[in-house]
Amino acid sequence: MLLKTEKLTKSFGGLIAVKSVDLKVNKGEILGIIGPNGAGKTTLTNLISGVFYPTEGRIHFEDKDITFVPAHLRARMGIARTFQIVRPLRDFTAFENVVVSCLFARGESLREARKSARKICELVELDQPERRLDRLTVFELKKLEVARALGCQPKLLILDEVMAGLNFEEMQRMIQLVKSLREKQITICVIEHVMSVISQLTDRVVVLDRGEIIAEGPYERVAHDPKVITAYLGEEA
Amino acid sequence: MKKNFVGYVVLAIALFLIALLRPYAFFYGVQRGSLYSLVALPLALILGIVGLLNLAHGEFLTLSLYMAYLLFTKWGMDPLVSPVVTVPLLLAFGFVVYKLVIERSLKTHHLNLLLLTFGVSIVMVESLNIWWTSRPRNIYVPYASTSVNIFGVYVGGYEFLYTIAVVLVLTGLLLFLKKTRLGQATYAVGQNPKGAAIVGINVKFVYAFVFSLAAGLVALAGALLSVRSSIFPHVGGPFTMKSFSLTAMAGLGNLPGIVLAGIVLGIAEEFVKSIPGYTGWADLVFFVVLIAAIVFRAFGRREG
Amino acid sequence: MKYFMIAIVCVLCFLLPFFVGAYMIHVLTSIMIFLSLALSWDMMLRTGQLSFGIAGFFGLGAYASIIAVDDFSIDPLWSILVAAGFAALIALALGWIVLRLREIYFAITTLALSSVFMIFARNLSDLTGGSAGKVLYESIFKGDSIKIYWLVLSVALTVILVSELFQRTRIRFAINAIRDDEIAAKCSGVNIFKYLLFVFVLTSAIQGAVGALYAQQYAFVEPESTFSANFLLLPMSMALVGGIYSTLGPIIGAVVLGLASEYLKLIMPYGHLIIYGLILVLTIMFLPRGIYGTVVNRIAAKR
Repeated sequence: MLLKTEKLTKSFGGLIAVKSVDLKVNKGEILGIIGPNGAGKTTLTNLISGVFYPTEGRIHFEDKDITFVPAHLRARMGIARTFQIVRPLRDFTAFENVVVSCLFARGESLREARKSARKICELVELDQPERRLDRLTVFELKKLEVARALGCQPKLLILDEVMAGLNFEEMQRMIQLVKSLREKQITICVIEHVMSVISQLTDRVVVLDRGEIIAEGPYERVAHDPKVITAYLGEEA
Repeated sequence: MKKNFVGYVVLAIALFLIALLRPYAFFYGVQRGSLYSLVALPLALILGIVGLLNLAHGEFLTLSLYMAYLLFTKWGMDPLVSPVVTVPLLLAFGFVVYKLVIERSLKTHHLNLLLLTFGVSIVMVESLNIWWTSRPRNIYVPYASTSVNIFGVYVGGYEFLYTIAVVLVLTGLLLFLKKTRLGQATYAVGQNPKGAAIVGINVKFVYAFVFSLAAGLVALAGALLSVRSSIFPHVGGPFTMKSFSLTAMAGLGNLPGIVLAGIVLGIAEEFVKSIPGYTGWADLVFFVVLIAAIVFRAFGRREG
Repeated sequence: MKYFMIAIVCVLCFLLPFFVGAYMIHVLTSIMIFLSLALSWDMMLRTGQLSFGIAGFFGLGAYASIIAVDDFSIDPLWSILVAAGFAALIALALGWIVLRLREIYFAITTLALSSVFMIFARNLSDLTGGSAGKVLYESIFKGDSIKIYWLVLSVALTVILVSELFQRTRIRFAINAIRDDEIAAKCSGVNIFKYLLFVFVLTSAIQGAVGALYAQQYAFVEPESTFSANFLLLPMSMALVGGIYSTLGPIIGAVVLGLASEYLKLIMPYGHLIIYGLILVLTIMFLPRGIYGTVVNRIAAKR
C-alpha cells in the first residue's frame, strides 16, 4: 500500500471538510476520487500533499507517518499534485515553471534540472515551452500543471480535475497521457467530475460526500450504488 | 479550553499581586492601558474589516492632538469639548486619505498598501514637524491634575477618563456591529468581502466608512490625551506599534480581548517602570508582547 | 563582451577619485552606502516579505563596530565583519521566530526594530555611551577619503554581485516562486522558511556591515542619528523609484535620488524626509515598477 490515511479529519472553525476518512491507495493503481461539489476532494488533496495539517487522524506514505511532515519534504518524497484552478508561477515561462520542481523536489543542479524539464515537456507534448504564460491555451496550462507535478519525480500523483475546461479531443489526449504515466510506475489519483474519464481510466473509485467516504469499488458498481446517486442528485421527493 | 482558563487565572493572580504590592503601578497601568486599548480598537477595526494595517494610525492621533492644541490656544476651546470639532475634521481627513491614496491600491499587492500607509505616516509626521517644529507643546487645564483616593492611595484621577471612554467605545462598537444594519454589513464585509458584495453590500462604502470612523475614534482619544501629554510630531508613532501588538495578542475581531490586552500591557509597562534601575526598559514591553503573540500563533497551532 | 564592459566600468569607478574633487568623492561615497542598503532591501522584497528593518540593522552594525574598536581594540576593518556577523546573529534569532508568520507580523516587527535597538542603546550606557553616544579617536584610514571611497566601493560591488547571483542561480527560482505563490512553491519542493531566513540573515548582515562602514567613516554613534528614519526611507525610495525586483533598478534609484538629495540639501536645509515620504506614496500609486521596471515592461510589451 502506497498511501494510507487513518480517520483523517479536517475542520475549519465550524465546518468539517473531511471527516474520519480511511483512504487506501495501492501501488501502481489508478484510483478515482469522485463526489459532488464541496465533498472535500480538494481538501483531501491538500491534506495529502501537505498544504495544511489535519485536525485529527494520520497519513502514512510507504509505511512512514507523514501526518506533520512539511509540504516541501513530501514533494521530495514523491508526492505531487496538480491544482484544480491552475496556479502556474507568473514570473516564469512555462519551461521555468517545470524547472522549479526539478530543482527543488528532485534536488538537481540548474543544468540537470533544465535537461529534466525539457524531457518532461516533451513527454506531455508541451511545445515551445519558452513562451510566457499568457500565450498558453487552457489545454497547455493543464499540461503544464501535470509537467510541474512530474518535475517532482512522483511516486504518487494526484490530478485534481485536470480535465475541466478541455474539449473532447483534448480529454482523450490527456487520458492517453495519464495511461502512459502509469506505465512509468507512477500511482495516480484522479479527481474528476467527468464520469466517462473515470470509467476509462480508473481501476477503482472512492466516492466522497460531505467529507466522508460513502462508497468504494470498481466504477461500474459504484455508479449504480443508490447512496452515490442520492449524493449527486439529492433525495427522491 | 483548559489551557486558556489556567492562563487567565494566572493572569488574574499576577494582576492582583501587583495591585497589592505596587498600587501606583497598577492604577497608572490601568489608565495607560485603557489609552492603548482606546487607540488600538480603531486600528483593529481597519485591520479586521478592510484587511489593511494602517501604519499612519499613530499619526492620526498626533494630528488630533495638534488640532486640540490649536483650538485651545487660538480659540480657548476646552479640550474635552474639542471633539465636537476635531472628530468631524478627522473623519473627513480619514475619508480623504482613503479615497485619494488607498482606494485605488486596494486591488494591488498588499505590500503596496503597507508601503503606502508608511509613506503617508512619514508625510504626516514631517509636515507637522515643518509646521510646528519639534518643540513640545502642552495644554494646561486645572482639572487634569485632580487626584482621587482609592483604598488609601492617591492617584491622578483625570486619566480614568480613558478607562471610561474605552468601555463606552467598546460597548458602542459591539452594539453597532451586532444591532445596526450598517454594523452588520460592516461585520459581513470583514468576514467575507466577496460574499458581502454578492448580497448587495456596498463594500467600497463600508471600507471608506470604517477608515473614517477609525480616524474619528482616534480623535476622541486625542482630545482626552491632549491635556496630559506633551505634543510633538513623533508622539503618535509608538501607538501604532503598540496597537498592533495588542491586536496580535488578542486576535483579530476579538475587541474585548484587545481592551484586556491593552490594560495588561499598561500595567506591565508601569510595573517595569517602578523597578528601580529599569525605568528605561518599559518601552520594550510591547515588543516582548508582540514576540510572545507571534510565538503563540506560530507554535500554538499545528497548521501547514 | 558584456563582462568586459562591466570590468571597464569597475576600473573606472576605482580610478574616479583622481579626477573629481573632494566634495564629489564624498557624495559618491554616500550614494554607494545608500545603494548597498537599497539593494539589500530589494533582495528581501524579492522574497515577498517587506522589511522595515534597514535602519535597525544599520544602527546595530554601527554600534557593534564602534564598540568593537573602542572597547575590544579590534582593527576597524575587521570590526566591519564583526558588525555584519552580529547583525546576522540577531537576524537569525528574530527571523527564526517571526518568519513563521510573515507578512504584516514580520513587517511590524522589523518596523519596531530601530526603536527597540535604540532603547538598548540608550539604557546600556556603559557599553554604548547611552544618549550621548560614543566617539572614536579617529576615523578609519585616518579619515583618508579616497581609501574610504575604495572600501565603500568594494562593499557596494560585493552587494551588487550578491544581488546578481540571486538573479541568476537557483536562488532566483526559489525566491520568485515563494513571492509568487507560496503554496505552489512548497508543493514543488521549495523549503520556504529556509530561504526566507537565509535572505533575511544575509541582507541584515549587509545592512550591519554598511552601518559599520558609515560609523567608521564618521567615527561616532549616537541613538537618534544612527537609527534615523533617513536610513530606512531613502533606500526604500531609491529601490522603488529605480525599480524593485532587480539589480539595476536600485542602482538607478540610488544615483538619481542620491544626486537629487544632495541638491535638495542645498535648497531645503531640513525636512527632506517629507519629500521621500511623498516620493514613496507617489511612486507606489503611479509608478509601482519604478523607472527600470516600467522600461522593461514597455520593451517586453512591444515584442
